[in-house]
Amino acid sequence: MKISGVGFTSALIYTGISLIAVGIFLAITVAGEYTWVARIGGAVWVFMLSMIVLIPVIMPRVKKRLGI
Amino acid sequence: MKTDDLKKASLSIGGMTCASCVSHVEAALKGVRGVKGVVVNLAIEKATVEYDPAQTSLAAMKKAVDEIGYEVILNAANLQVTGMTCASCVENVQKAVSDLPGVGKIVVNLASGSARVEYLADMTPLSEIKKIIQEIGYDVAERAEGQEALDREKEAREREVRRQRNNLIFAGTVGLLVMIGTFQPYWFLPSILPDWMNNKIFLFFLTTPIVFGPGRQFFVNSWNGLKRGLTDMNLLYATGIGAAYLIAVINTFWPDAGFGGREATFYEAAALLTAFIILGRYLEAITRGRTSEAIRRLMKLQPKKARVLRGGEEMEVPAEEVLIDDVVLVRPGEAIPVDGLVLDGYSAVDQSMITGESIPVEKKAGDEVIGGTINKTGAFKFKALRVGKDTALAQIIKLVEEAQTTKAPIQKLADKVAGHFILGVHALALTVFLFWFFVGFGLWFVPESRLILTPYLLTGMGVFGFALLTSVTVLIISCPCAVGLATPSAIMAGSGKAAEHGILFKGADAMESSAKVQAIIFDKTGTLTKGEPSVTDVVALGMAEAEVLRLAAVVEKNSEHPLGEAIVRGAQEWGLVLEDAGAFNAIPGQGVEAQLNGRSMLLGNRKLMAERNISLDGLLPEAERLENEGKTAMFVAVDGAPAGIVAVADTMKETSAMAVKELQRMGLKVAMITGDNRRTAEAIARQVGIDQVLAEVMPEDKANEVKKLQAEGLKVAMVGDGINDAPALAQAEVGIAIGSGTDVAKETGNVILIKDDLMDVVAALQIGKQTLRLIKQNLGWAFGYNTLSIPIGAGLLYPFFAQMVSPELAALLMATSSLSVTLNTLRMRGYIPPIRRPGRPGASKQPTLAALPAPASNP
Repeated sequence: MKISGVGFTSALIYTGISLIAVGIFLAITVAGEYTWVARIGGAVWVFMLSMIVLIPVIMPRVKKRLGI
Repeated sequence: MKTDDLKKASLSIGGMTCASCVSHVEAALKGVRGVKGVVVNLAIEKATVEYDPAQTSLAAMKKAVDEIGYEVILNAANLQVTGMTCASCVENVQKAVSDLPGVGKIVVNLASGSARVEYLADMTPLSEIKKIIQEIGYDVAERAEGQEALDREKEAREREVRRQRNNLIFAGTVGLLVMIGTFQPYWFLPSILPDWMNNKIFLFFLTTPIVFGPGRQFFVNSWNGLKRGLTDMNLLYATGIGAAYLIAVINTFWPDAGFGGREATFYEAAALLTAFIILGRYLEAITRGRTSEAIRRLMKLQPKKARVLRGGEEMEVPAEEVLIDDVVLVRPGEAIPVDGLVLDGYSAVDQSMITGESIPVEKKAGDEVIGGTINKTGAFKFKALRVGKDTALAQIIKLVEEAQTTKAPIQKLADKVAGHFILGVHALALTVFLFWFFVGFGLWFVPESRLILTPYLLTGMGVFGFALLTSVTVLIISCPCAVGLATPSAIMAGSGKAAEHGILFKGADAMESSAKVQAIIFDKTGTLTKGEPSVTDVVALGMAEAEVLRLAAVVEKNSEHPLGEAIVRGAQEWGLVLEDAGAFNAIPGQGVEAQLNGRSMLLGNRKLMAERNISLDGLLPEAERLENEGKTAMFVAVDGAPAGIVAVADTMKETSAMAVKELQRMGLKVAMITGDNRRTAEAIARQVGIDQVLAEVMPEDKANEVKKLQAEGLKVAMVGDGINDAPALAQAEVGIAIGSGTDVAKETGNVILIKDDLMDVVAALQIGKQTLRLIKQNLGWAFGYNTLSIPIGAGLLYPFFAQMVSPELAALLMATSSLSVTLNTLRMRGYIPPIRRPGRPGASKQPTLAALPAPASNP
């Protein structure tokens, strides 16, 4: 496994989890009385922060798992 | 695995002596996962390793070799890294470089902006290490030495200060305009300012160059880090500034989008946030340079020119071109260019910059001079003994620099916390956003509420805008810059201050340990005493005292024993004429005999007198008295009859008793260790006020005595001469080598005292304590700031007071926290160890106690 493979695998994982977080966020907002702007803006912010939190957590773990 | 994927590296292995070493090393390396083949060559001390770079690294191979008692010898480089601003930058550089396959170890120091890398050039060349550091957003260059380093470092620092100053001037001035424009409709401002200043398009055109000009560095650096999975402070700033700017732009051009409309543009937040962050960086760049002033002062001491005699001609050459054995000429007021030995002339030399001695030291033929010191009164010639990198000054600079690139244990914890902080802060910002979005806004939002210290109402703010504002404030206010600076800046200031007093700490851990010492052991000979015996008493039986001493000295005239030399020196001081004796015979362990003018002379201990059937009845009470005082009594007999006693003792250093008293006052348990018999040892210990005596200890057992004290749970410092006491110095938590003079590099021990003054032991511990106190204060400030500010930034006070912290106020608070830590550290510049303060006994170099006699004995 090459280093570039690590980047791709990691990206799949952290993007996937971030999208799940966005999905949950949107699902909750649907139950409340929120404007679409708040929903979309909030979803973008949740996605960004989730990515920032997850990238440094996921990448070393994937590297370790793949023995790099 | 294809063979193409395998790589080869050649490791230099130290410590191999035989074929079995070869097989051990081979076995150890073969045991490392990913190593496919190993061939070890004993003759050239190299191991050629074939390995899979995807599975192993140099660090793993080095660890395997080190664990079986050998050493992988690596290349080392000192790098100057500019652009690091916080502990997470340190973590990022360390992580990025450590991930390279050929890197064995890297230590990064934020305060000095330096990194020391141990690497294998075969696997990872230095250029690759520099490239990866540049890729994550920092400037890097090889750290030069001596004057060149001083110039380069100064230049880099000035460049950084200049860059941030220009950024600050632009962001500050334009940011102020943005702020004035934003608040144009409030207070008395409408009467003096035109309406167009509050126009959102106008504010957009003012703010955009700030965000993408001076603020660009945050976006670029955080993106470079994120590409490698690294987060740092830049990311906090980038998300904060980016979010504030984006909301402002949306509210300007799409006011109905629901982000609060044109009354909630926050251009001033984006602009002032950038300005305040840059203000913090600018202040840090200025003040951080000042903590390393001591080392720069040392570097500046290095003279540039020297006047030498070559081929009978006097010529001026650059100081670095002086050769060993060159004869160097020094006039009054000139700096001495290199270390050497005075050949001719007489002068007083100010050595305070190297040894901390406040009074100029007299120099005459045969005395050593130190490069970098200043000749005061007379002119003299000296022979160069040490030049270039070997001079005392160069060695001292190197030691201090090395100490400043190490990490104190307390710093490792702070770095770890700060390293994980960024992640934690983003997670917290997400939590805070979700809380205010789903819960807080509905429960507590008051449309008439304000941002602290502004007239700004949050009336038009929607749920998303409010939750985002709180989230951004948390990101900005939480920056742990101060945590990252707290320890290294204090270590730099402390080690520099110590160097000013002639005290060299070899590492940050030594500084921290010296602050925690509970017990201190002094070696006796050469440490508490001068290590040079002298005659203290003469007892005569039936003849004059001078005659007894003369006869003893005649017998010892050709002796090389230290006690014999002391007797000869004593007789010369009394002005006695010493003839040559005949038939000299040394009797091992007992004494000596000789013939003088047909008379048989004998000088020695009780055993010798007993063997020669000489009755000591008339002398024994006096002998016992002298021995009880810790002196060595030697009997003199002439023609088989007792003639007297000559007593010899080592001399106590002037400051020993004072230093011991001060250490006891500081609450330390003070002990003395010696090879002497208990009675002698206790006599000496009484003179200096030590009550715990470790007597009859052979040199090789001294380390065990240190261990015994450590087993009692005490943190132990050992003070010795650095060569004889090496094992004990190494065993102790703090090994203090005293009186190393100018040859500091050879010393064992992690604290080196250039002078032979025990008061420096006290000063070293006091500086250590002060440094640790400073570190704790700094960490208290830094963590205290974050502990208080984060909940406030997260809106904890909002439900009670309906006031929110704005992002720009958060940035100002963050900059203030870093500044408070740096200013606190700068207090160390004026620090004088209590023992060296005017009015204290240790402040004066003049002996304040009379020299106390102590017995000569086993070293």
